[in-house]
Amino acid sequence: SCGHIKISPPVVRLGDPVLASCTISPNCSKLDQQPKILWRLQDEPIQPGDRQHHLPDGTQESLITLPHLNYTQAFLFCLVPWDDSFQLLDQAELLAGYPPASPSNLSCLMHLTTNSLVCQWEPGPETHLPTSFVLKGFRSRADCQYQGDTIPDCVPKKRQNNCSIPRKNLLLYQNMVVWVQAKNMLGSSVSPKLCLDPMDVVKLEPPMLQALDIGPDVVSHQPGCLWLSWKPWKPSEFMEQECELRYQPQLKGANWTLVSHLPSSKDQFELCGLHQAPVYTLQMRCIRSSLPGFWSPWSPGLQLRPTM
Amino acid sequence: PSLPLPRSFLLKSLEQVRKIQASGSVLLEQLCATYKLCHPEELVLLGHSLGIPKAPLSGCSSQALQQTQCLSQLHSGLCLYQGLLQALAGISPALAPTLDLLQLDVANFATTIWQQMENLGVAPPVQPTQSAMPAFTSAFQRRAGGVLAISYLQSFLETARLALHHLA
Repeated sequence: SCGHIKISPPVVRLGDPVLASCTISPNCSKLDQQPKILWRLQDEPIQPGDRQHHLPDGTQESLITLPHLNYTQAFLFCLVPWDDSFQLLDQAELLAGYPPASPSNLSCLMHLTTNSLVCQWEPGPETHLPTSFVLKGFRSRADCQYQGDTIPDCVPKKRQNNCSIPRKNLLLYQNMVVWVQAKNMLGSSVSPKLCLDPMDVVKLEPPMLQALDIGPDVVSHQPGCLWLSWKPWKPSEFMEQECELRYQPQLKGANWTLVSHLPSSKDQFELCGLHQAPVYTLQMRCIRSSLPGFWSPWSPGLQLRPTM
Repeated sequence: PSLPLPRSFLLKSLEQVRKIQASGSVLLEQLCATYKLCHPEELVLLGHSLGIPKAPLSGCSSQALQQTQCLSQLHSGLCLYQGLLQALAGISPALAPTLDLLQLDVANFATTIWQQMENLGVAPPVQPTQSAMPAFTSAFQRRAGGVLAISYLQSFLETARLALHHLA
């Protein structure tokens, strides 16, 4: 084809200048000997170049500097006059944006059902450019200063700010270091590093709470009592856990009462002194005991009727 | 006298024992339900012919608990069972995920023990090399070998659990 645009650099920071050249080869027979090379950015008015000259091989070259590119994406056209109109010779795409800021708020949770470590982060302000994120890591020891084997990069699905490290890439009960790297055509950045043992960040689910119907012969005929049992969330059965029970009468604005330091499983638990309402709502949550861990969410509310 | 073991190490190790035993039980149940191989005691003869070993834990027995030897045998035994579990790969597509997780958990527990031996300065310069693994020549041998190996692992872990409690 007759004309060819070159841009440098092809991607700039938003507001930075762009230098472009358009060359017309001498064997472009249909054009005048010395065509006036013109430019158009997006659908702005056509403008001449800053300078047009001959190259030793007879090629015509026009140079233009766009002082401030304020489009994040735009097309730059090279044209020549043609009868009472213009002919497009070439088109180039300009991209502008920002280098990625450091990803922040990196956190991870170990999912016992999928046996994977899911980490998530805040990507930082919009860069307006295709920006890739990779979760990186290496195995370590107690204080996370030691750098052991590198963990294969975890590449998140498109436009997702989380990544799931599969079980085979995890060394449970040992510390590891993870961080996020962000990269686009204007640069790269890394998040602060996170030091963790996957088993210390287990996403725990609440225990299974169940009402116990105690036969009339066993009930101590004491009013205001109810009985329940609970079992830990099955995938976490191997973890020693401590639990909390909270209950509240079904009354507007009623407060919760908390019972702490309960075992993770109980076949029969009696709760008495419940005289404020005919129905009470009970919930439970658990946490790994003696070792680091997070509280599970509260279990769904269980509505029970104390003895009358 | 050996250095006391950190409480976090003992708690994590006990949790790992429970985690592995839970996976092992699931696998034994699956092998029983799927292939009616429910009694390891019926497979002892086959075990001998296949050369399925039982890892020694004499240093962990309650009568003669010897911390350094116990840790060393625990580590070697875990490496042995990890190798055995690897040799069982291909046992069946349905069991493969559970078997893979079990093998990873055993390998990770071996690392926990090895790290602690290094911290105590009682780790040998080089990790023990993997001994020869039995060769399973039929699907039945692989399944039966699996039942036997996993049941040996379960009792191995039970001894380890008691020893860890003693050491706590």
